[in-house]
Amino acid sequence: MKQERLQVLSLLPVVVIAFGLPLVLRSPTYLHIIILLYFYAYLTTSWNLVGGFAGVLPLGHAAFVGIGAYTSTVLSLQYGISPWLGMIIGGVLATIVGIIIGLPTFKMRGAYFALATIAFAEGFRVIVENIDYLGPFNLNGPRGLEISPLNVGLTNLMFNSKEPYYYIILVMLGGVLALTYLISRSKLGYYLQAGGEEPEAAMSLGVNVARCKLIAMAMSSFLTALAGTFYAQFTLYIHPKSVISLDLSFEIAFIALIGGRGSIAGPILGALLLRPVSDLSRIYFGSTLPGLHLVIFGIVLILVMIYQPRGLQEPLTRAYHKLLERLAVRPAVGV
Amino acid sequence: MMGKRVNRLLWCVVTGLLVGLLVSFAGGSGMTAENVVKIGNIEPLSGPSAAVGLQGKNAREMAVEEINAAGGIKSLGGAKLVLIYADSESKPEKGVAEAERLINTEKVNVLTGCWNSAVTLPTTAVAERYGIPFIVPVSVNDKITEQGFKNVFRIAAKDSWWTRDQFVFLKDMEKEFNVKVKTVAFVYENGDWGKGFAGQWKELAKKGGYEVVLDEPYPSTSTDLSPVVQKIKRAEPDVLLLVSNAADAILLTNTLADYKVKLKAIIGSGGGHADPSFLKATGQNARYIFDLVEWETDVNKPGAKETNEKFKKRYGYNLAGESVDAYVAMYVLADALERAGSLEPAKIRKALAETNLTKGPGMIVAYNAVQFDKTGQNEHAALVMVQINDIGHGMERLTVWPKGARHAGYTPVFPMPQK
Amino acid sequence: MLYLLEDTINGILMGSIYGLTALGLTLIFGVLKVINFAHGSLLMVGMYVAYWAVALTGLHPYLALILVVPVMYLFGYYLQDIVIKPIFKAEREVREPITVIIVTTGLWYILDNVTLLLFGPHYRTIQANPLRGKMLELGGMLISVPKLWGFVTALITAASIYWFLQRTRLGRAIRATSLDRDAASLMGIKQYKVYNIAFGIGTATAGIAGVTLVPFYNVFPSVGVLFDIKGFIIVVLGGLGSMGGALLGGMIVGVIESVGPQFMAATWTEAIVYGLFLLFLFVKPSGLFGVRYDW
Repeated sequence: MKQERLQVLSLLPVVVIAFGLPLVLRSPTYLHIIILLYFYAYLTTSWNLVGGFAGVLPLGHAAFVGIGAYTSTVLSLQYGISPWLGMIIGGVLATIVGIIIGLPTFKMRGAYFALATIAFAEGFRVIVENIDYLGPFNLNGPRGLEISPLNVGLTNLMFNSKEPYYYIILVMLGGVLALTYLISRSKLGYYLQAGGEEPEAAMSLGVNVARCKLIAMAMSSFLTALAGTFYAQFTLYIHPKSVISLDLSFEIAFIALIGGRGSIAGPILGALLLRPVSDLSRIYFGSTLPGLHLVIFGIVLILVMIYQPRGLQEPLTRAYHKLLERLAVRPAVGV
Repeated sequence: MMGKRVNRLLWCVVTGLLVGLLVSFAGGSGMTAENVVKIGNIEPLSGPSAAVGLQGKNAREMAVEEINAAGGIKSLGGAKLVLIYADSESKPEKGVAEAERLINTEKVNVLTGCWNSAVTLPTTAVAERYGIPFIVPVSVNDKITEQGFKNVFRIAAKDSWWTRDQFVFLKDMEKEFNVKVKTVAFVYENGDWGKGFAGQWKELAKKGGYEVVLDEPYPSTSTDLSPVVQKIKRAEPDVLLLVSNAADAILLTNTLADYKVKLKAIIGSGGGHADPSFLKATGQNARYIFDLVEWETDVNKPGAKETNEKFKKRYGYNLAGESVDAYVAMYVLADALERAGSLEPAKIRKALAETNLTKGPGMIVAYNAVQFDKTGQNEHAALVMVQINDIGHGMERLTVWPKGARHAGYTPVFPMPQK
Repeated sequence: MLYLLEDTINGILMGSIYGLTALGLTLIFGVLKVINFAHGSLLMVGMYVAYWAVALTGLHPYLALILVVPVMYLFGYYLQDIVIKPIFKAEREVREPITVIIVTTGLWYILDNVTLLLFGPHYRTIQANPLRGKMLELGGMLISVPKLWGFVTALITAASIYWFLQRTRLGRAIRATSLDRDAASLMGIKQYKVYNIAFGIGTATAGIAGVTLVPFYNVFPSVGVLFDIKGFIIVVLGGLGSMGGALLGGMIVGVIESVGPQFMAATWTEAIVYGLFLLFLFVKPSGLFGVRYDW
C-alpha cells in the first residue's frame, strides 16, 4: 500500500475518536478540559502560520483573541447581533490590526519583533482597561463584560451542555489544520519557509518575502480572533486581564515552540502534552504547594528546549514515518 | 550521547507524569468515605493575590477543625467536613474550570470562593447551572447577588454598602467633632473593585455636598506612586478615600508620609489596608488612618478575642475581616447542614436560605445574625470603621464606628493632627 | 513651574533606578543577543538577598552590597554556564537563538515560584533602615533620599561598567564578542567564557538594583514582573549594549511616569510608555546610543 494512502488511512481512527468522544465520555469536566485543549491547539496552530511558517516570534497574539472576544460580545450585548456574525467582523478587524502591526514590524530583527508584539499587546490591554466607552461601544474597562446564558441556541452560539461547544471547536480545529496543510504544500508555504530562513536569498530569487509574511499574519490574526469569540461564548465572561493577557500570548507561543513550530503536528502535540501538565499539576499541587505547577512547567520548558529544540514533534514524526515506511514495504508479502 | 539518554528520560518523565496525574485525576472521587461532607474552595493560592488566598484557607481550616472536633454534623451521623482546595490563580477561566472539576469529578456538596470578584462572577454561574450551593464569603461586587441566581449566598456586605457606610461615617465624624469637610479626593486601584467604588463615591459625594478635587485611578502594580501622591498633595483635599491592594497600600501610605501630605482624614476600604503585612510595613506612617472592614480584633463579641489568639498562635498573624468571613462561612454551612439533615443540594440550598445564625463559635462577627435575603445577600452584614493608632500597645487597629461598637475608652482622632 | 521641576527630578531619580535595573539587561542583550525574560526574576532574587542580608545583620542596606554583588555574580555566571550554554551550543548555526528566550522564561517561572514556595507571598519591607522615609528639602521641593542614593549608585555602576568595557582586556573581549562572535572567537576569545562573565556581571547589576530598591520598596516573589517589561523598553530606548543609553532610557521612562500623571490619570502613562517604545522601534530601533548591529 502506498505510503500516502497509509497516511490518510492513519488519520481515520483519529477523526473517528475525535468525533465520537462525547458519545463515550459523558463527564462535563473532562469535556470542558478537552474543549479548552482544542481551543489552545487551535490558537497555537493559527499562531504557527506566522510564528512557524514565517519564522518570526510573535508574543502578542492574545491581542487578537481580545479583539475577537470584545467585538462579538459588544455587538451581541449592545446591538443583539448574532455572535457568528460578530465573529466574522471581529476576524476582519483583527486582520486589519494584524496587517497594521505587521507592516512596520516584519522589517525588524527577531528579538525586536518579539518585543514589538509584546508592546502592542500590552498597550492594547492598557487601553481597554482604562476606557469604559469606545465611541458608542461599552467596553466596561476592567469590570469586564458578562454574557447571560439566556438565549440558548445555535444562532446565538449559546448552549447549556458542553457537547455543541465541543463540536464547534473541533470543526474549527480541523479547519485550521487543513488550512495549514494546504498552505504548507502551496507556493505561499515554500516562499514563507524560504523567507524565514534566508530572506536575502529568497528575495534575490524574486520572492516578495514581506508580502508573504503579511498574508500569513493576516490569516493568523483572523483565525485567532475567531477563537476569541468562541472563548467569550464558552466562558461567558471576558475582561482585559484574561483575554488580552501576556500570559496567554506567551503560553500560545511556548506550546507551539515546544511542540515544534513550523510543522503541522507540532502545535497540537504541544497543546496535547503541555496543557494537561500545567492543568493537572495545578490541580494536584495547587493547594498544597502553590506555584509548584509553574515550577514544573518551567522545568519542562527548559528541558525540552535543551534536548529537543525543534520541538517534541520531531522524534514522533520520525517514528511515525518510519512506521509507515515499514508498513508500506509489505505489499510484496501478502496484501 | 548523553543527549539521547536524557531524551528518553525526559519522555518517561513526561509520560509518567501524565499517566500518573490522569489516573489520580480520574480516581479522584473514588476515595469517598461514607460520612463526609465535601466542601470545594476556589481561592487564589498563587499569583498576585496569593497572600489573601492563604488567609482564607487558614481560616477555613481552623473552623472546620473545630466543627469536626465538636462532633461534625450530628444530623448526618457525625459526618465530618472535608475541605478540597483549587487554585484559581486569580484568573476567571481557571476558576470556572476548577468549579467544573470540583462539581463533576470531586463531587463536592458545596462550593465556596473566590475572593477576586472577577473570578466569583462566572464561577457562581457554573454552580448555578449544576444546582450546587455556593457560599461567597468575601467578594463584594454588587452583581454577585444580582444575577438572579438561587444558589449563591454571600456573607460579606455588598460594595454599595461599603461606600454608603464610608460617607455616613464621614458625616458622623463631622458632627461629633464639629469639623467641616468640604473637599474629597478619590484614589483607587484601576481594577474592577476600585472602579466600582469610585463610581459610587461620585454619586455619594454629590449627594453629600462634597467637592471632588481629585479622581485618580492608578495601576495597582505601580513601581512608584510618588506622582499620584504629588497630585493628592497639590489638590489639597480635606479627606482622601482609598481603594488599594496590599502592595500599593503600603507604598501609598509610606509615600504620603514621606511627602508630608496634610489631610484631615484618610479612609481606606479594607483589602490592602487590612492586610496583616500592612501595619508591619508602614509602622508610624499608618497612624490615624481610618479603614472600613468587616471585622476587627477588638470587636465586642464573646469568643472573638480567644478565637483571634488561637488563629494568631497557629498562623502568625491576626484574623481580619476577610478571614473572619471565611471562618463564619464554615459555621453557617455547618448550621445549614444540621438543619438539612441531607446531602441533597436542593435541601442544603433550602437550609442555607433559611439560615438565621445568631449564636455559636462562628458568630464572632460584628453584627448579630446571619440571614440571607431573597437574592442570597446576608442582610445583616455590617461594617465597622477602625482607626490605626498607638494607645500604648504598639500600632493597632481600634474600632471607632458605629459608636455602639467603639473600642472602650477610645476617642477617635479627627481630624488628623498636622505633624 | 516648581511642581514640574519637582516631578521631573523625581522622574530622573526613579528613572535612574529603572536604568540600573536595565543595565544588566542591556549588557546581556547586547552580548548574547538574547532577550532574558528572567531578568525581573534576577532582580527579585537580588532584592531577597539584600533583604535577608539586612534583616539578619542589621547592616546599612548599601553595606549589603558586599554580599550581594559576589553572590549574584556567581549565581548569574553559573546560571548561564549550566542552563543556557547548552542551548547556545546546540543552536550554533542559528543566528538568533529563539529557544534561549523560552529557556529564560522557564527560568522566570521557576525562580519566581520557588521563591513563593520558600518564602511565601508576604510583602516584606525593612522598616528600621537609616534611609527609610528620609526626604531632602530643597527650595520648597521634596526629594526622596533613598532614590537619591539609587541615582548615585546607578551613575557609579554605569560608569564602572563602561570603564570596564572600554579599558580592560576582558571588557574589550566582551565588546568584540558582541560585535561579531565568530571573528572574536577566531581571535582566540573564548566565546562561552565571555558569555558567562557577561551574564554574571548583568546579574550582579540586578543585585545592585535590588539593593537600591529595598530601602523603600516592597519585597515579594512576583516583584520582578513589574520591572521586566519596563527593562526591555528601556534597553530599546537607550540602545542595545549602551550603559549610558540604559540610564537615559530609564530616566525618560521615569520622567514620563512622574510628569505624565499631572496631565492625565496615572493609568494612561503606561500606554504612553508603550507608545514611545513602539515609536522608537519603528523610527530608530538602534535607540538613542545604540550601534547599528547587523545580526
